[in-house]
Amino acid sequence: MENNKVNITVDGREYQVPAGATILEACREIGIQIPSLCYMKDVSHNASCSICVVEVKGAKTLVRSCISTVAEGMDIKTHSTLVDQARKINLELILANHPKDCLICERNGNCELQDLTSIIGIKETPFLKTKTAAKVDDTSLSLLRTPEKCILCGRCVAVCAEVQTVNAINFTGRGLKTKVSTYLDKGLGNVACTNCGQCALVCPTAAITERDESRNVFNEIYNKDKFVVVQTAPAIRVGIGEAMGMEYGALVTGKMVAALRRVGFDKVFDTQFAADLTIMEEGYELIERIKNNGALPMVTSCSPGWIKFIEHFFPKSLDHLSTCKSPQQMFGAVAKTYYAEKLNIDPRKIVVVSIMPCTAKKFECKRPEMKSAFKYWKDKINLNENEEFFDVDYVLTTRELARMFKQSGIDFKNLPEEEFDEPLGISSGAGVIFGATGGVMEAAVRTAYEVLTSKPLPNIDLKAVRGFEGIKEAELDINGMKLKVAVAHTLKNARTLLDQIEEGKSPYAFIEVMTCPGGCLGGGGQSIPTTWEIRQKRADSIYREDSLKPIRKSHENPAIIAIYEEFLEKPLGHHSHELLHTSYVERGIF
Amino acid sequence: MRISNYADLEEIRLKAATKILPDKPYIAVGMGTCGIGRGAEVLYDSFQRIINERKLDIILKKTGCFGFCAEEPLVNIYIPGKPLVILHRLAEVDVIPVVSAIQKGLMPFRNVLCRIEDWDFITGKFEFGKGLTEHPLWNEIPFFKWQKKIVLRNCGLIVPDDIEEYIGVGGYFPLYSVLTGKSPQEVIDEVKLSKLRGRGGAGFPTGQKWELMAKVKADQKYVICNADEGDPGAFMNRNEIESDPFMLLEGMTIGAYAMDASKGVVYIRAEYPLAVRRLKGAIEQAKSLGLLGENILGSGFNFDIDIVEGAGAFVCGEETALIKSIEGKAGRPVPRPPYPAVKGLFDYPTNINNVETWCNIPVVMSKGASWFTETGTDKSAGTKVFSLVGKVKNTGLVELPLGSTLETIVFRIGEGSGSQKRVKAVQTGGPSGGCIPVDYMKTPVDYESLNALGAIMGSGGMVVMDQDNCMVDVARYFTEFSNSESCGKCTPCREGLAQTLEIIKKFTSGKAQEEDIKTLEELGQVIKATALCGLGQTAPNPVLTTLRYFRDEYDHHMIEKKCEPGICQDLFTALCENSCPMHMNIPRYLQLLKENKLEDAFESSLRDNPLPSTIGRICHFHCQMKCRREGIDAPVSQGEIHRYISDTVYAKESYRKIYDRLISEKMPPTHKKIAIVGGGPAGLTAAYYLVRLGHDVTIYDSESEAGGILRWGIPKYRLPLDILQREIDFIKELGVKFVMNTCVGKDISLEQLEHDNHVVILAVGAQKDTELQIPGCNLNGVISGMDFLKEIAHEKKPEIGHHVVIVGAGNVAIDAARTALRLGSEVTVVYRRLKADMPANKDEIKEAENEGVNFLFLCNPEEILADANDKVRGVRLMKMACGEVDLSNRRKPVPTGEFFTLDCDNVIMAIGEEVDAEFAKEYGINLKSNGNILVDHFTHETNHPKFYAIGDAITGPATAAEAMGIAKKAAEVIDLKLMDKNRFHKLFREFEYSNEVPLKPEGGNRHYSVKLPLEERIGNFKEISLGYTPAQAYAEAARCLRCDVRTTVKREEE
Repeated sequence: MENNKVNITVDGREYQVPAGATILEACREIGIQIPSLCYMKDVSHNASCSICVVEVKGAKTLVRSCISTVAEGMDIKTHSTLVDQARKINLELILANHPKDCLICERNGNCELQDLTSIIGIKETPFLKTKTAAKVDDTSLSLLRTPEKCILCGRCVAVCAEVQTVNAINFTGRGLKTKVSTYLDKGLGNVACTNCGQCALVCPTAAITERDESRNVFNEIYNKDKFVVVQTAPAIRVGIGEAMGMEYGALVTGKMVAALRRVGFDKVFDTQFAADLTIMEEGYELIERIKNNGALPMVTSCSPGWIKFIEHFFPKSLDHLSTCKSPQQMFGAVAKTYYAEKLNIDPRKIVVVSIMPCTAKKFECKRPEMKSAFKYWKDKINLNENEEFFDVDYVLTTRELARMFKQSGIDFKNLPEEEFDEPLGISSGAGVIFGATGGVMEAAVRTAYEVLTSKPLPNIDLKAVRGFEGIKEAELDINGMKLKVAVAHTLKNARTLLDQIEEGKSPYAFIEVMTCPGGCLGGGGQSIPTTWEIRQKRADSIYREDSLKPIRKSHENPAIIAIYEEFLEKPLGHHSHELLHTSYVERGIF
Repeated sequence: MRISNYADLEEIRLKAATKILPDKPYIAVGMGTCGIGRGAEVLYDSFQRIINERKLDIILKKTGCFGFCAEEPLVNIYIPGKPLVILHRLAEVDVIPVVSAIQKGLMPFRNVLCRIEDWDFITGKFEFGKGLTEHPLWNEIPFFKWQKKIVLRNCGLIVPDDIEEYIGVGGYFPLYSVLTGKSPQEVIDEVKLSKLRGRGGAGFPTGQKWELMAKVKADQKYVICNADEGDPGAFMNRNEIESDPFMLLEGMTIGAYAMDASKGVVYIRAEYPLAVRRLKGAIEQAKSLGLLGENILGSGFNFDIDIVEGAGAFVCGEETALIKSIEGKAGRPVPRPPYPAVKGLFDYPTNINNVETWCNIPVVMSKGASWFTETGTDKSAGTKVFSLVGKVKNTGLVELPLGSTLETIVFRIGEGSGSQKRVKAVQTGGPSGGCIPVDYMKTPVDYESLNALGAIMGSGGMVVMDQDNCMVDVARYFTEFSNSESCGKCTPCREGLAQTLEIIKKFTSGKAQEEDIKTLEELGQVIKATALCGLGQTAPNPVLTTLRYFRDEYDHHMIEKKCEPGICQDLFTALCENSCPMHMNIPRYLQLLKENKLEDAFESSLRDNPLPSTIGRICHFHCQMKCRREGIDAPVSQGEIHRYISDTVYAKESYRKIYDRLISEKMPPTHKKIAIVGGGPAGLTAAYYLVRLGHDVTIYDSESEAGGILRWGIPKYRLPLDILQREIDFIKELGVKFVMNTCVGKDISLEQLEHDNHVVILAVGAQKDTELQIPGCNLNGVISGMDFLKEIAHEKKPEIGHHVVIVGAGNVAIDAARTALRLGSEVTVVYRRLKADMPANKDEIKEAENEGVNFLFLCNPEEILADANDKVRGVRLMKMACGEVDLSNRRKPVPTGEFFTLDCDNVIMAIGEEVDAEFAKEYGINLKSNGNILVDHFTHETNHPKFYAIGDAITGPATAAEAMGIAKKAAEVIDLKLMDKNRFHKLFREFEYSNEVPLKPEGGNRHYSVKLPLEERIGNFKEISLGYTPAQAYAEAARCLRCDVRTTVKREEE
């Protein structure tokens, strides 16, 4: 026997499995799928649903395979009269209070409860409904909670508390009155929620979903008076394919562009253009701060969940945030000013739709600061206050876009590949990698190094900041100046770095923070399921796209060069300040 | 002062010993929460006032509780040189006499419960004094006789607020010896050897638990005392803390030393304010003496205890939830492992034990493991404290060796239900436990035996239930409790218990179906097997055990839609209606009478009961046994009123109209032929309903006239013949055919009956006298009670002598006695038990006494003596003594060995009757072992197709009303079976009457009918009870509180 293996018997056969593994994982490894519901690897081991129970010889009760570790000589039955009955009854109990309106449910066809019902073979629901569910929580701009559909698996609570350390939601009440709720039942929109949407991503049912705005976007498209442009975030091209029935992490940039045109968008642009723009502005801002003893470390500001997090929990550190808007907001501002002027379109007729892997973007685009284009035009064309418009009008998640594609009858897999429109569709490889954790850092380094040293970067791939480690760091040597940088994804890891900053112990000059595990490719608006294996596949595609791009540095993007020449003049210039930079607010935690 | 060595400790002990045995009198008032609840506080203040006023040199103390709740408030009186005397049920008026007596140096002699001459505090012995033998010793009275006080050794005898008294009886010496003489491992070894197991209910070996924790190395370790006692009906831990808090602190300190913990927490319910207060005070005192805190007893060992008050969530008794609660988080269990011993409070290694477990530790240390294991069983050593509550005479805290039987607890200590009601079950372990039926009372109480029955030891709650408890409702109650206390985390507990509750409510509201039983069982098993924590894993026990042992009650609720004990409100209209075997709508005829609708009232009774005037005279009046008016003064005499109504209507001849109406309502002929064997109350009732349903009914009876026991058994002074005859005649008039003088099995065969009829109903009654097998029972002059009464009914005059002895205590015995009296004999009834145990009607017994019947109780006939002519000359009787209460809730008669002879000329044997159904057995119909005919309880079908049986024939001797009730039910199911249609309800109709509830009790005290004067009863059989006057009847009817009227108040659900 190997040291790190134990011998167990499962359903009468003997196996060697890794010591320390849970029964559930060990069984999955040897090809036995124990049905489970509340359990989610790396997220939840709440052990509450009682579906994954197995019989273990000698145990007084059935054993929860998701939290029990294998032991030498363990004799496990994954099926028996009692096990089958327990799973069946426990699932029937859950179904008693779950609406059985699958046909009209958002998660129809992509629901773990639905799958489980079929796997366990439930044919009837003998139990009566025993509770009245709490009201729908529609207070959030990003997320919608439908407590009726909640099965109290606790994944959302776990992800919010343990992955994000936000604790916006938790269980309240006891017994049948147990529900997932917010502080004083105020609703997600009124508490310290970062809108990251990880709760929606892990929810096995439709109890927490994004706020679906796809119908509104269709209506804008159908409106002949409107000029509807769409921008797609880097992570969409590696996520949307999954939702359209392709393999995990499928890279589908060209098909996506083609599909968007078929849906009816007037122009199909790329947020990566704005990402390149961000690099220019942020790079210069960093240089500026280093030179002028500004607040360091400077922390990136692309991830709106993260912005809200720091506004709620670390308002003292707001000056460490880069003043740069996120790429989506830069895009909106540019589209309704630069592009509008260029095409001579009334900015009021332009509708900017963002396709984002992110639910927090829905909140971000509605921040009162995000009306730069309106301010830009206000005096120029004499706009009324009541004509006020946002830079970005709609944010749709990957999942909503998939819905639009399906509703538009698009045969996604067989579409020919098409190119983005110019000029806001032109991007560099640096823009692509914004979609993965470490990408902003790597992109920034590609530009900053060359701007500061005026020499080509010796090795364009900054591998130290790639990968899924929670906090990654690197040391750069720029003309003899040693700069320590760090990259964090998930708010838990961000919190660690912020604690350092607040304690005055941060050794870094520049920090990249992404709210979601793995960065935007693991965003709360991405296709479901999203697991670490799937995130890895999406990351692989992102870096492949980067390596295939002819231009891989933002400052070399001809469209970027052009916009500075034609409109912005220079990074951190007057227009940049008006259109591409923003400010933050202090938010309490209550 | 701080105690830092043995000398200091000993100094305090010697000083405090004089507090236990002072040189002047003391009065100690039991001031546990229980005592205070019964007025101890007022009592204490009163004592204080009198002592102050009189400037007496009497010490007044507040002690804890000695455990005998039923007798509270308890007051201990000590006068130097005399035994300690415990007074019970003391009231304020007793204060002056008590103080005055003490003032004179005399021990009070009233309200004395018992005396204590010497007391073993285990850590020290005290002798109070000898004498006062007129009072029982404490361990001579049943409540204490079987107890062994180890944990409760100090409770009620020392002042819990005074650490010196605790030290005075030897407290803290165990801690001293541990800290100065034992290594932690030695302590653990001793605990392991003692076989002490967790007293919180799960029974995990304490030493083993300690060892696990001791092995884990950490900077910080905790010990926790679980005082979150939340079971309904359990209050052991409360009293242990209230009455002896230092015992807990000492136990925890020893444990902390053994496991190297420096911090302790007592997690106690906030609902125990007195316990919290005493414990806080105790911690302060222990700290000030250096028995807690830094450098305890100069040993260098540091240990401190904090109190955390729980907000009352039951689940916080579960250790992981408890830890979360202490941490300030929601009390929800987390999966184990990791066990608290590895990762507990604030992630540090933590040991949790129940209050009582900790309380055993000082004793184990003081006396050693081998002393401890002398008590209890091999696997379960020591004692366990139970709180004995519910339908039991002696309620209180009882501590007795593990392995004692449930019978000892309930019947020996508790002395049964304390009423005429039979004990039905005991619920152990609260909502996590199970209901154990009275048949299993011999079960030893230990962890394993209770588990085997599906119950658990739990923390020690023991709720006794009697025949008035509905076991389905009990299951509902506990499920409701668990359901509302479920933390809501895991599916089986949160959702499963809610569903269980819903299904049980279907039973309590009469909506359940057969498959619901299966669902309940399956749900229960799954919840047990898959719930995350102990709460859920044990929550189905009340349901599963009641299903296992009281399935018949579920069936009653489900099939008959009846709740016999009258608990499930949806299943009856009023308690009287529910207790009436015929389910007569009693409030209705009472109200109709009140409204002067006499004919309606009569019709209402007649439709419910074919023999209203007869039964109104001779009924056992089941209705009166459950009447809400009893809660105010006395039950309503519902029976007397229906006799009044029928008698009055018969006298006015207006009954004819109603008879005619019933005849005209007869349903069209069904051409179904039904033969009824036996024309007694059951047969007549079945015939009455079946003939009205249109069936062709014939009654066969071996006697010359119908009526059975009503005619041949009940003497005419109770039931005049014309009354019965009129009512039988009406049944004839309805079309029932009577074939008399025909003995089935002899004159006509069952085969013939089966051939000629669609249904044959056996209603043969229980007529055969049970024979008492004693020498001389076949002598000339020994008569059977039934034969004697029958001869009288046949107007023969049996030859009886001057002195007649009746053996028996039932109605036949009393009827025989009074009949013999009327024939001019002197009569003596002998019975081996007490008067209160006699099954006969209480009124009948009273009348018999009035008329001059002699009674000899506690006498058991051993032999009937013969004279030279082999004729009876006397009876040899053995004097019996009262033993303990037996499972029938009566005191067992115990032979004393002392005999005497009662001279007499005749002995009438009336010890009971049996069913004689040999003829049926010969025809292949199954009988029960006692000779009763075996039928399906709900359909009344025998094993033989077409054959049904009803009345005493299936139950053995019962009351006429019970036999008629069965007949009525049988008529309904037989008609349904024959016609495949539910038609029975058509025999009844609605009446108009007011449903206003009297706002205050009306009608005055209970009314008694006028009785024939004693002198007019001699030598004749004239009816004794003359019935109500109209004024009496109206007033008595007005006494009804109309509990049948229900108003529904809609409550908004959250």
